[in-house]
Amino acid sequence: MKVSGYQIFWMISISSMIIFSYLPIKLAAEKSYQDSWISILLGGLIMMTITWMVLRVCRQNMDKTLVGFMKDLLGTVLGKIIVAVYFLHWFMQMSLIAKGTADFQNLVMLHNTPMIVILSCMMFLAVYALYKGGITVIGRCAEIIGPFFVFMLYAQLFLNPQDMDIKRILPIYADSGWFSILEGTLSSVNYMIDPSIILMLFFFAENKQTASRAILWGTAVSMLWGVIATLVVLFVTGPSIAAELVVPIYSLSKYVSILNFVQNIDAIFIPLWIIGAFIKVAVCLFILSYGLSEWTGFTNWKRIGCVISVIWLAYVLYGSHNIRISNTLRSTLLVSFFYPLVYIGIPLILWFIGSIRKHWKT
Amino acid sequence: MMRTVFLAFFSVGLVLSTSGCTDFVELNQLAFIIGTAIDYAENGQIEVSQQIVIPSKKEDPSKREGSSSFFVMSAKGKDVFQATQKIQLRMSRKLMANHRMIIAISEEYFKKDDVRKLFDKLIRDPANNLRDTIVMIKGGSAKEFLMLNHPIEPLSTIAVGKELQINGMRSFSSRQFVIETLTKGARPFMPVLQIENVKLSKEHDSPVAELHGFAVLDHHLKVKGILGLPEAPGAIWMSGKGSSQGATIPWNNNKDVVSFRLTRLQRQMTSANGHDPKHMVLTVKAQAYLLENTSQQDMSEVENMMELQKCLNKQIQKELQSTIEKVQQWGPDVFGIGEYLHHNYPYWWKSQRDDWDDKFKRIEVTVKTDIILRSIGVSGAPVK
Repeated sequence: MKVSGYQIFWMISISSMIIFSYLPIKLAAEKSYQDSWISILLGGLIMMTITWMVLRVCRQNMDKTLVGFMKDLLGTVLGKIIVAVYFLHWFMQMSLIAKGTADFQNLVMLHNTPMIVILSCMMFLAVYALYKGGITVIGRCAEIIGPFFVFMLYAQLFLNPQDMDIKRILPIYADSGWFSILEGTLSSVNYMIDPSIILMLFFFAENKQTASRAILWGTAVSMLWGVIATLVVLFVTGPSIAAELVVPIYSLSKYVSILNFVQNIDAIFIPLWIIGAFIKVAVCLFILSYGLSEWTGFTNWKRIGCVISVIWLAYVLYGSHNIRISNTLRSTLLVSFFYPLVYIGIPLILWFIGSIRKHWKT
Repeated sequence: MMRTVFLAFFSVGLVLSTSGCTDFVELNQLAFIIGTAIDYAENGQIEVSQQIVIPSKKEDPSKREGSSSFFVMSAKGKDVFQATQKIQLRMSRKLMANHRMIIAISEEYFKKDDVRKLFDKLIRDPANNLRDTIVMIKGGSAKEFLMLNHPIEPLSTIAVGKELQINGMRSFSSRQFVIETLTKGARPFMPVLQIENVKLSKEHDSPVAELHGFAVLDHHLKVKGILGLPEAPGAIWMSGKGSSQGATIPWNNNKDVVSFRLTRLQRQMTSANGHDPKHMVLTVKAQAYLLENTSQQDMSEVENMMELQKCLNKQIQKELQSTIEKVQQWGPDVFGIGEYLHHNYPYWWKSQRDDWDDKFKRIEVTVKTDIILRSIGVSGAPVK
């Protein structure tokens, strides 16, 4: 199974844009209001740095996946335990996206459709892609969907010029100050992109050189989109409303009114978001099942994928009945301990050990 | 064979569920709400009325009498949703608010209840688009306004929406309104309609909703005053929301009058001397086109043109200055001067932002005008 750099680019950009359009803008705007774009920009830079660092780790261990080189660097027992943290993380990301998409569809369009129907459709599609060839198929899909998706999401930002007032982001800095801006960054940065998927994906890249360039570009494209999107949301709604909008990009598409004629175009964007969510979910499902098959030694990762998706469905359904489980976005434990560990802590340790080893060998 | 049959059934099942057939709503199962009215009701309740368009009659202006193209349903409830739900229970079709143009709130509701509590529904419920306009109905009830007929338009609400559009008053969407309500340095400005009996033809006169002026609302959305029609366009111009309007000024020592069309309305704010936030200068800009002249002077002469421009600037300046002073006596800063100060003197603003309604009264605002005479029309001297 190999994917090209081009496919990786689309996979990375879609899966980060989909989560970007849904979570971080509100989280940042809650803390730093009209300066939330600075928070997002800082967060984007932090994420670019992390991506770069993760790529260093991947380049050191090109011939293995995360599970493989973790075992190499940290020893079998410790390596297996720490990788389990990543499995947990991907599983939660997957459930977060699945639940978000299903809830959103229930809220906006399908008022009476049971959640299990929406979820099973999404799950079926992801498992089908997995069965038909795993990452190769997902990469192909991303390659086809990507250009439409990215173009439409960028285009959407420029559809309400008549409602924009640039002055709404003024005064810059004075109202919030560094503390609030950093607070906004910290609470939103974890939901901008998931750099940990690269640790798995990189192994499947055909040409490592182009792949790492593609990953950096994919991250940059979605980060740029995030900053522009935050600015546009602020221009259109002003800081006080932006802090309250749970799905800001959706609300933005509701405001569009071109010449009083083209209105209510959210119906065009909703399918697009669902398709984007499919890519994200499928990528997560693939790396989770492939990783688990390496972890357990059970080679049929497709079967593992099936089992995971059933557990996943059960978890999301159970979670939707338990408000506390399904609303963990602002959980201090996650934001201040778990995500930094997964995104920065562990890759940093791996990089460190990898570099020392290399040094010793030479 | 079994495999093919199984796959066929499975894909049919998928197609049905992915197209959302469990939730299908056909066009003939929808009732389009074009206007919503909010009225005060006793016991902490509100009365919500929905104006629903009858699609089959909309394109039939010949049969105006007896068969109108809409109907109004109303119900009382503790909040907007409860009341709308009561209406829904009496309807054969699903109510759809995506295409609403007007939300009308009666003056009585403004006085006796808190308008701010209506906005949560506007932002929270995804069925709202925030593109509609919120208006206040002076005198009568808002429900009555929905029930009115209009001489050209099929619905009174469509008429009001178009009226504001065509007269260059576009920035009154509910999104804009909610933003202004939430900003500390600006206060909302709301169109006020009044129902008046107008004699439209020899046989009969009918009630029509007319634009009466603009209400100046304070931070708690209580009406502090209503600017009447001669002053309101000026205030809209100064708040940066106007796009075009007309002006008629005395000429030739009050013996004659001249009229202009003003376009490209703009406004600019600066603080006097560049650093004193307590003394503001508000400059309004426009381009003027002379369209009527009752005097005998030849306006193509340069001297006259110069004089005309000077006179126009002076007169407009006087009018706008008195409008500002009037609004300042009421308190609410509908011009967004507070927002300007917030942007340019953010640290000074922190000590001022609470109670801005009160502090705005003490800010000194000077109006300056910069109106250019672009054209004198297509004839120079009046035809004798």
